[in-house]
Amino acid sequence: MGALEVRGLRKTYGKTTALENLDLAVENGEFFVVLGPSGAGKTTTLKSVAGLVEIDKGTVEISGRDVTSAEPYHRNVAMAFESYALYPQKTVFENLASPLKSGRSGKYSADDQRRRITAVTTTLGISHLLNRFPRELSNGQRQRVALGRVLVRPADIYLLDEPLSHLDAKLRSAMRAELKQLGEMSDTTTLYVTHDYQEALALGDRIAVLREGRLVQIGTPEEVWKRPVDTFVAKALGQPEINLLPAEVEHGQIHTAGGAVQLAVPPGLDVVAGTRLRVGVRPRDIELSRTQADDAVLCMYGTVRLAERLGRLVELTVALGDDTSVIVVTSSDRAAHEGEAVELAVRLEHVHLFAGDDAGEETARLGSASTKERQQG
Amino acid sequence: MARELMPGQKRFSVGTVLADLAIVGWFVFSLFPILWMVLLALKTPAEQTSTYFVFSPTLENFSTVLSDRGTALTSVDFSSALITSVINCGGAVLVSLLIGIPAAYAAGRWQYRGSDDLMFTMLSFRFAPELMVIVPLFVIYNQIGLFDTTAGMIWVLQLVTMPLVVWILRSYFQDLPEDLEQAALLDGYTRRKAFLMVALPLVRPGIAAAALLAFIFAWNNYVFALILTDSRATTVTVAITKFLGGGGQAYYNLTAAAAIIAALPPLILALTIQRYLVRGLSFGAVKA
Repeated sequence: MGALEVRGLRKTYGKTTALENLDLAVENGEFFVVLGPSGAGKTTTLKSVAGLVEIDKGTVEISGRDVTSAEPYHRNVAMAFESYALYPQKTVFENLASPLKSGRSGKYSADDQRRRITAVTTTLGISHLLNRFPRELSNGQRQRVALGRVLVRPADIYLLDEPLSHLDAKLRSAMRAELKQLGEMSDTTTLYVTHDYQEALALGDRIAVLREGRLVQIGTPEEVWKRPVDTFVAKALGQPEINLLPAEVEHGQIHTAGGAVQLAVPPGLDVVAGTRLRVGVRPRDIELSRTQADDAVLCMYGTVRLAERLGRLVELTVALGDDTSVIVVTSSDRAAHEGEAVELAVRLEHVHLFAGDDAGEETARLGSASTKERQQG
Repeated sequence: MARELMPGQKRFSVGTVLADLAIVGWFVFSLFPILWMVLLALKTPAEQTSTYFVFSPTLENFSTVLSDRGTALTSVDFSSALITSVINCGGAVLVSLLIGIPAAYAAGRWQYRGSDDLMFTMLSFRFAPELMVIVPLFVIYNQIGLFDTTAGMIWVLQLVTMPLVVWILRSYFQDLPEDLEQAALLDGYTRRKAFLMVALPLVRPGIAAAALLAFIFAWNNYVFALILTDSRATTVTVAITKFLGGGGQAYYNLTAAAAIIAALPPLILALTIQRYLVRGLSFGAVKA
């Protein structure tokens, strides 16, 4: 158990910069998720905390102790590797006993070791595999053993590198639920790395979004979801991606090129006529409505071009004009058919306004279109 | 491919027959000298220059070779040369492993300025003909008293064995995922322990392969032993040639018998450690 503080972390591999000026402060017992696409520096972050890579700049503090130059075995952290990194010549039992035998995570008698291993393998449902070798396990079982090697010992910090990424979808969601319920996890400061936004939202007390080695946003799942700092974060969370429509300010109105979207400039949003914006709407926030619109709702009219059935849900591609279309996800019982004209409604607080872009760069969020919500910078 | 073949069924055509014949021809060509040597080793002195395949075989040559004390027929005690060879080559491989394994690990795990040049330099020892360095070595060995000593032979054989051990094992260490040792570090083990506990056991097949190859190359070395030894530390490769007679009579049948005896130790070694040569031990360590 312990807090983690990373300040000004910089790590380069040759000429490529993996991490640049990274600051993280993880509280004692917190479940902290680092989210980002591959190559964003997530694993490097973990290995820097673990002391497995030499960092170029910055400091790492664990439980108030500066460990920047400490050897990995002096840091008292446990890590589950994305590659599992199970010792192939050892059985599952021996793998799990390894951290207990080193003497650096505490002294354990043979009985203590057995008790701890039994406890953790029962929790993870792998107690029948103790005498097997890693090569005799499925990927899902290996993943559990790797996780078990972390949980079997007390540590200041658990570092988990994409622990669910190689499981099939069904097992992944089951394990996600299990992870959340593990007592060890909830007591111990955990740094969890993933590229899966659902895992991040479901598990994290807080989420840090990384992009190309830089921190983009830190916040609770709700904050990151509701108020993404820029289009990168907005696109990183949610599948299908958020709809982004280019728009312009004119006569106190925000409207898109084809005129399909018309919005009043919300109070507090300081934009002059001619300013280019991007209007962001998440597919799940759009409703198919045939009801009378009220003031707090943005209405759009369009034609369904494509309807894809995804079980309980339907993904609709709705053309709003000649060259604008939005993705809408709705439940299948209320779905429209292809070719049908529909009216779309979005509550204004779910309409995000981003700065205009030049040729596809990520731009900052300016606020929502809500007339009530206080605007965020 | 015109038609499917049943399992076990062979396509029969002029081309495949010719190819098979070519392979058989190649085998005959390459194995014939060995067959000839075996036959020669079984012949009596009277028959040794005959080319007939029909003769009365005898094992007497082998006992003559092994019992020759370097007095009756030649100037070299063959059986003690055999033992010296085992000691020289075994010692050379052992030293190469003791120094070469850590060197290969370092070379496989860490890149530093000039590390590739260093590795290339080490390999280049194998390019240069031994005759190029043998004269200065002869002078130096005489000066510092290493001439005709086991220690001197073990040392000079490092030129043969060390590059092999380091190069073969470096690639084994490179193939080993670094995550494994990192996991050991986080389990609380020091770098030395992580190496001994995790990395070393996993390259055992590589160590077996490197040791075997190094032993064979050292065993077959002729030039170093010829120039740098006399009677005390001379090796079996040199001892064989003594039966061809330096000025006296040439004993072809004894030479053949000696060559066969000399070929046995590497063969036995190869058969013994062959089961350690299997790769793929690290399968299952990390995701496929």
